[in-house]
Amino acid sequence: MTIRKILIFTPILVIFFLLQSYFWVPTYEEQSRGNPERLNEYIAASIGDASILNPILSADSASSDINSKVFEGLIDRDEELRFRGRLARSWDIHEEAFFYVNEKANIPGVGKVGAKKVVELLKRAKAGDLPASDEVRASLDNIREISIIPAREFLVTRHEKKTETDQEDIEVRIRVMAPNRIKLVLSSVDQDVFQSLSSILGKDYFSSFNGGDYLHVDQELGEKKSAAYAREILPSTEHNPIVVFKLRPDVKFHDGHIFDANDVKFTFEAIMNPKNLSPRVADYEPVKEVQAVDPLTVRIVYKRLYSPALGTWSMGILPEHLLNDETLRDEANRVGKDPEKFSIRQSSFNRHPIGCGPFVFRQWKSDQYITLNGFDDYWEGLPNYKKFIYRIVPDLLTQEMEFYAGTIDSYNVQPHQVQRLKNDPGYQCFSGPSFGYTYIGYNMRREPFNDPIVRRALGMAIDVNKIIDYVLHGQGESITGPFVKVTDYYNHRIKPLPYDPQGALKLLEEAGWRRNKEGWLEKNGKRFQFTLITNSGNDLRKAILAIAQDAWRQIGIDVRTDLLEWAVFIQERVDKADFDALILGWFMGIEPDLYQIWHSSQTNPYQLNFVGFKNPQADDLIIKIRQEYDHDRQVAYCHQLHKIIAEEQPYTFLYVTKWTAILDKRIVIKETDEKGNVVYKKITPTKTGSYTFYFNKWIKLPEVPSFALDG
Amino acid sequence: MLSFIGRSIIQKIITLFFVSVVSFLIIHLAPGKPSQVDPLNPKFTPEMVERFRKEFHLDKPLYIQYIYFYRNLFTGKTVSWKDNQSALKKIWERFLNSLPLFIVGTILTWTLSFPIGIRSAIFRGGFYDRSSTFFSYLLISIPGFFFAYILIIFVVNSFHVPVIGMETFGIGDPSWPRWLMDRVWHLLLPSVLGATGGIAILSRYVRSQMLEVESQDYVRTARAKGVPEEQVLYKHALRNALLPFVTMFGLILPGLIGGSVIIESIFSWPGMGRMAYEAILARDYPIILTVNFISAVLVLAGTFVSDVLYMVVDPRIRL
Repeated sequence: MTIRKILIFTPILVIFFLLQSYFWVPTYEEQSRGNPERLNEYIAASIGDASILNPILSADSASSDINSKVFEGLIDRDEELRFRGRLARSWDIHEEAFFYVNEKANIPGVGKVGAKKVVELLKRAKAGDLPASDEVRASLDNIREISIIPAREFLVTRHEKKTETDQEDIEVRIRVMAPNRIKLVLSSVDQDVFQSLSSILGKDYFSSFNGGDYLHVDQELGEKKSAAYAREILPSTEHNPIVVFKLRPDVKFHDGHIFDANDVKFTFEAIMNPKNLSPRVADYEPVKEVQAVDPLTVRIVYKRLYSPALGTWSMGILPEHLLNDETLRDEANRVGKDPEKFSIRQSSFNRHPIGCGPFVFRQWKSDQYITLNGFDDYWEGLPNYKKFIYRIVPDLLTQEMEFYAGTIDSYNVQPHQVQRLKNDPGYQCFSGPSFGYTYIGYNMRREPFNDPIVRRALGMAIDVNKIIDYVLHGQGESITGPFVKVTDYYNHRIKPLPYDPQGALKLLEEAGWRRNKEGWLEKNGKRFQFTLITNSGNDLRKAILAIAQDAWRQIGIDVRTDLLEWAVFIQERVDKADFDALILGWFMGIEPDLYQIWHSSQTNPYQLNFVGFKNPQADDLIIKIRQEYDHDRQVAYCHQLHKIIAEEQPYTFLYVTKWTAILDKRIVIKETDEKGNVVYKKITPTKTGSYTFYFNKWIKLPEVPSFALDG
Repeated sequence: MLSFIGRSIIQKIITLFFVSVVSFLIIHLAPGKPSQVDPLNPKFTPEMVERFRKEFHLDKPLYIQYIYFYRNLFTGKTVSWKDNQSALKKIWERFLNSLPLFIVGTILTWTLSFPIGIRSAIFRGGFYDRSSTFFSYLLISIPGFFFAYILIIFVVNSFHVPVIGMETFGIGDPSWPRWLMDRVWHLLLPSVLGATGGIAILSRYVRSQMLEVESQDYVRTARAKGVPEEQVLYKHALRNALLPFVTMFGLILPGLIGGSVIIESIFSWPGMGRMAYEAILARDYPIILTVNFISAVLVLAGTFVSDVLYMVVDPRIRL
């Protein structure tokens, strides 16, 4: 009967057709044998898709991964995390410092004098005619030029809200009669220059200068407002660090256009242009101006001392000729959009980026892959891989399976798999500490956390090594302070808190806490009781919550715990500083600027120093660190700060996690030595653990190579 | 008939309007903010968030946002907030990717369910019937993602071939049969997984329909006349048992756009379901609402088609 036969044979045929396709699909081995080109391709995987391929606009990690390959910055960091030139060949940092002549101040031994006399005095001091201490001497020697900027008059207009509720602005006209100003050109940045000069000009010479005397405001503003304007318009002293980049000649964009200083200037202006809504505005806010001195020289003047600013120039440089106002207007007209509202953010450039990085953008299939090709004219030479493919695989387990099947070249191993995969003969394995740490933070505004002894005791009661062993499967390291562990800034001399519950009890007894009949700790009849909170949805933090609760209960502390949804946790508890203790983590950058997290001015609601850490010494160091341009001095300050924070224990620092990545053993570094011979080397991670540092030299070989050194 | 079609279209337009209002409200009432204006993101300053809000019209009252959105949708100007791409273009691309998955899955479901269900009905109570019942319930109750993982791990570890995505990555430019077969292979697992639930349910339906029809008088009459058993089953019984499935055919239509979120995410298949899911995570309102609107249209069209089909195949029904 035909119907019956159809009913039975159609599914059999369908299934047969589907199953036979198996024989056409290449296995791991066959992929490179059947298609030798496969060896010239590197396939990476990511959980999420990129969103915008423009370095000044992107804010997610997938976009940054691609941008870092397509675009190139002026500088980046080398194996030791020091800066090295990329598009910039070299750079020079010096400073211009200014101060207004304070004619009302008494200079010791000289009296009240004008600008000329001050310059004379300083020149004499520089020549060594006046006695000076070593530090002052060093500051004076650092001064290259001293000159006078003559007094001048100018008009400033500002818009001011009449009252808090008033919508309308009123125009405030300020007539400024600026007195003589003295300009110092320093060979290197010196944050202490005015402190040194005050030993010559008198202790109060700078602080007693009142800018308000030289302002004439046409409106009644009130004491506070006028003083603020005076500080802003006529600051007694001013530091203007200057970075001069010498650019690499003959660097080409992927479309053949030659890169020059105007592209740098344009990139800066694009970031600062409010139309583009760049998330990087804050990084470049300290920049006063960017000048293209000649096609290969860029001069960047800063408003104030801010050493992390140098690192921001690792940002990819945009091609001016493709994104300037004219081209944008053309594009807007072409696609029929309002040219007034059309900005870089709307441009199709963001899906077809052109930079001067080692890889040329080829294709982007949303949620599937992004392909890049090696750039023939790359200034450092064509990368060994001809193709870089960035796949989007939104699931970790399937990423792993694709790695086993050979269609992804590296895999980020989960902590529980490290033991299994570390010694697999087919793979090479890399691991290192990550840039973030997890901690328990105490609200130092509340009893009893305001006592450093109590905080130390709480930390001593927790066995961090056990957490690392059992919660992190050994994939973590203990940490003692707020700096990234692989950088110089981290002070390795500081010992972690010992795990010592008995010692903790002793410390608590010192602080007045004794065990009562039921075994709870008590002070003045009050039980030691608090709530430890964290956000839900993070299994690691949840496990630590339970471990900490158990550890503290064992020494007689009545700890309650609570898991809160992320938005509630941040908005209601962290931002409003409404908590006893919490578990959280920070992800750190390499720059050692800790202002936002540790400075005492940042303890208000909605700021990041929510534990309320206030320490004048630490404040001083934090400011010094962000103003210091000399690496060694910065490191010394950081070590001191690390020590203070470790003594104060505002956080119980728990651990940094370790990442582990595996690669096929056939991927090696290929180099050509001076004689032109090709040399293969094993991939070795840099000191800081970055194994992809030499990515441009990687290549996959058909067979696992054997190296002379490790067999 | 014509008056039925007219009435039904008017009804459906009214329903569509309410669906558009309700879905718009639900999405705007849902907790969380579009990722571009999320105040929890430390990288965004309040001014930036404000500017984005203005650009996305989020500072306007809801009913104005509603009008703006549907005006853009009908003039084809809706763009995704995430990447400024035209929403309709994005959806069309994704639809083409989901289509093969949908077609193969549907073919598998509909070709397999009937023989399985019919056989169960013929040998009801026997070993085959019991075991197929057992497997049906097993497949219905096993969570899809779990089953998918088991299958993927099994296939990769025992056959060492890639199964994720639409094609083998880095395969280069193979000959076209190889290219085609590679794509078919990548279709196999996700469509089998997508079909299992359908097969399990549909074969149960077929079985119960067959059983119901078998006890009807006309089947008994046919048997009494001495018609051969096979003809009784496949001509008299099966044809009548098929009637309800005609309606189900119309209801597959919305599945076209819905795709399968879980399967597509696991297999990193760049289809509709995954796009909608990611749009929801990023609170990309234009995409969510456009997908929602299109699927509402398809659901309504599907019910309409099945009503009409039913009238065509079953002359007893007059609407």
